[in-house]
Amino acid sequence: MKAPSSDNAYIRCKIADLIAEVPCGEGLESICEAYKWNYEGTVDISIDAGLYRIDKYDPRISRETVAYMESAYQFYLNLVDFNGFYLHSSAVVRDGRAYLFSGPCRAGKSTHTRLWKELFGKDVYIINDDKPALRHVDGKWYVYGTPWCGKDGINMNEKALLAGVCFLKKAPENKIRIVDKFEAMQKILGQTIHKFDEINKLDKLLKSLELFLEKIPVYELENVPEVSAAELSYNTMFKGAKEAGL
Amino acid sequence: MKIKDGYVLREVAGNWIVLPLASETVNFSGMLTLNNSGVVLWRLLEQGASKDRLVKALTDEYEVSLEQAASDVDSFINKLINTGCVEE
Repeated sequence: MKAPSSDNAYIRCKIADLIAEVPCGEGLESICEAYKWNYEGTVDISIDAGLYRIDKYDPRISRETVAYMESAYQFYLNLVDFNGFYLHSSAVVRDGRAYLFSGPCRAGKSTHTRLWKELFGKDVYIINDDKPALRHVDGKWYVYGTPWCGKDGINMNEKALLAGVCFLKKAPENKIRIVDKFEAMQKILGQTIHKFDEINKLDKLLKSLELFLEKIPVYELENVPEVSAAELSYNTMFKGAKEAGL
Repeated sequence: MKIKDGYVLREVAGNWIVLPLASETVNFSGMLTLNNSGVVLWRLLEQGASKDRLVKALTDEYEVSLEQAASDVDSFINKLINTGCVEE
């Protein structure tokens, strides 16, 4: 816990059920608009513009982009202290449960969750299209929208219970399989940030990952981008979540 | 031969993996997975060990021939060299 800043150049937000103070300016105030939270007490996470690693970026990159990337990074560094991490994925919610579709760039994550929208219409919404926050709270895994959501800007300030994670792979036909813990661990580490300066951050992430692997079913979907692939992923993951008691 | 600073061996859900820390491993962002004999070799290499020492560790610990152990050590070391996590 950190003492709240007296500087009014910060706005208070509630992101992933954590109170964060975010520096105003460089576009952050507007991207955090939906997460603003009127709160006077202590904050869980304080994002410090003075700690942005500006040297890491090409000087042609705008200050707004640097602030966006670096605030996302700082939030992430703190999130691991609260049993959480980001997973590079598109997260779609149906009946209060979040289904995450992950994989490397151009694996078809956003395309797949669009197919869910096509299939289920208003019954589903996308909570975050790029890096939802996952947290283990009171024995359950939750998925949260965050202001950091990739190029399309799709995010909602919502939370949902995590039903499962599916890694996508383009293929000539649709096929889904559950992956074992070893493969799941490798795939998840491949789509989250695990390089930290401090060893204790890494250990916290790995502890969360272990809890995650105990509870959450992980799949791989080979797929053709068509509605039948969405039907297959929904039916399989819905059943899997039920069996896992999620 | 020795493991460079900045790589950590951890067990996650019964699996052994090597992960880099940010400060010292600029060019490596992935991970390595190790089997049990890999863990034995890695631990020796953390302290620094010759190839002969590694081969001996395998023949002491497992029922393998000297030739098999030497070939396992070679391929393990090659894997580490390709990752860039060892130094002479």
